[in-house]
Amino acid sequence: MKRNTPLITLLTGAALGVVLLVASMMQTPVKKPAGYSSTATPTAASSATSAPAAPASSSAPASAPASASPSATPYAAAPAKATYAGKSKNGGATVAIVVYNGQVIAYVCNGSTIDAWFSGPASSDGKVTLSGKNNATLTASYGTAQTTGDVTAHGTNFDFGVDTVSKSSSAGLYRATAKVGGDTVKAGWIVLDDGTQIGSVEVDSTSANPSAQRAPRLDLATRTATYNGTVLHAVRVSSVTGSGF
Amino acid sequence: MTAPTRREPLPQQPAASGAAKLVIPSVIGGLVALTLGLYGRLHSPTGIAVNIAGFSSPGSVKAWLATLATVCAIIQVVSALVMYGKIPGVTAPSWIGGLHRWSGRIAFLAAVPVAIHCLYALGFQNYSTRVLLHSIFGCLFFGAFTVKMLILPKKGLPGWVLPFWGAVVFTALVLIWLTSAYWFFSTFGVHR
Repeated sequence: MKRNTPLITLLTGAALGVVLLVASMMQTPVKKPAGYSSTATPTAASSATSAPAAPASSSAPASAPASASPSATPYAAAPAKATYAGKSKNGGATVAIVVYNGQVIAYVCNGSTIDAWFSGPASSDGKVTLSGKNNATLTASYGTAQTTGDVTAHGTNFDFGVDTVSKSSSAGLYRATAKVGGDTVKAGWIVLDDGTQIGSVEVDSTSANPSAQRAPRLDLATRTATYNGTVLHAVRVSSVTGSGF
Repeated sequence: MTAPTRREPLPQQPAASGAAKLVIPSVIGGLVALTLGLYGRLHSPTGIAVNIAGFSSPGSVKAWLATLATVCAIIQVVSALVMYGKIPGVTAPSWIGGLHRWSGRIAFLAAVPVAIHCLYALGFQNYSTRVLLHSIFGCLFFGAFTVKMLILPKKGLPGWVLPFWGAVVFTALVLIWLTSAYWFFSTFGVHR
């Protein structure tokens, strides 16, 4: 047995690494979320119902290129009011984009250390580019039923095509800030149509490079969550009422 | 550094010069570090990887595993000092070699899952100084560890070679720990 034990140690570690790498690859979903490819190309009529708050310029679908765009019909301008939310294509992060009267608030997080907030003018040409802390960037093209784009947070890039959420459900974006100790804690939760909740909390949100970790569960009935003994009161970032803007 | 391994004769190998014995392990170690860095940079990070049950998040798993590795690394330094007779008044007990080997193996095996999560889910990043330093030292650590493991069974090397590489490996690991687990615990608090 007393052969080249250091080499055995090395090879054991390498084998463990390969096993974990393969396990990680198998866990990563490769299929695109339903509705990303051609299935979600609504007619002009259905797009009007799925996004009733579409602006007057929603005549855009008529002029949209016929070359079957992969996403839903693009807007020529930003929608007046819309909430989009969903997982990124690889499932590694969740994205929410809320538009209200010319302003947009967007949030991406993975329910752990990756998160970034974005806000700014919703843009006038149907495309928006935003930047956040930790060199985060988000570019998106608004569509009637889906917004597509990509976001980079903590150096990790996620492609996404996220759908509008049901207005009758509690799906959407929630945000809470509170002073805990000397730091301003800022939590964000994205609730999807099926009730799935993904949230991260920045423990030092006012710093230039905030650090995030998993957020405590948000009680949607009371819109509260308890973080290290402090009760956080969440505000819904709403495209219906404009709260949170 | 491990006395028992040294005692046994190597299979008949053509007598290579001391330099040649160092060059090949160093080249392999360099390739290991380079491979990790390139993979971390070129692979598109996914944000997710396999998680270990019982912890609140992948971050806390990694912080605790890295802390385990660092504690073992401190045992490494102390046991090496004892083996080399550098601690006055302490004679090396018979089990010190075993302690040194097993603390090293545990440290290495604890570090591997952390590194895989870093490489697969997060990648080689430079968005802040902490993250850049962590990425660099993470790659260097595994390269340096490879060098040390490869030169360990070789005989006839100058006496400073193993302590030197041991020190490089230890320093890299401590810097990795300071830029990750220490940051994690001081930012989020010490919890599971």
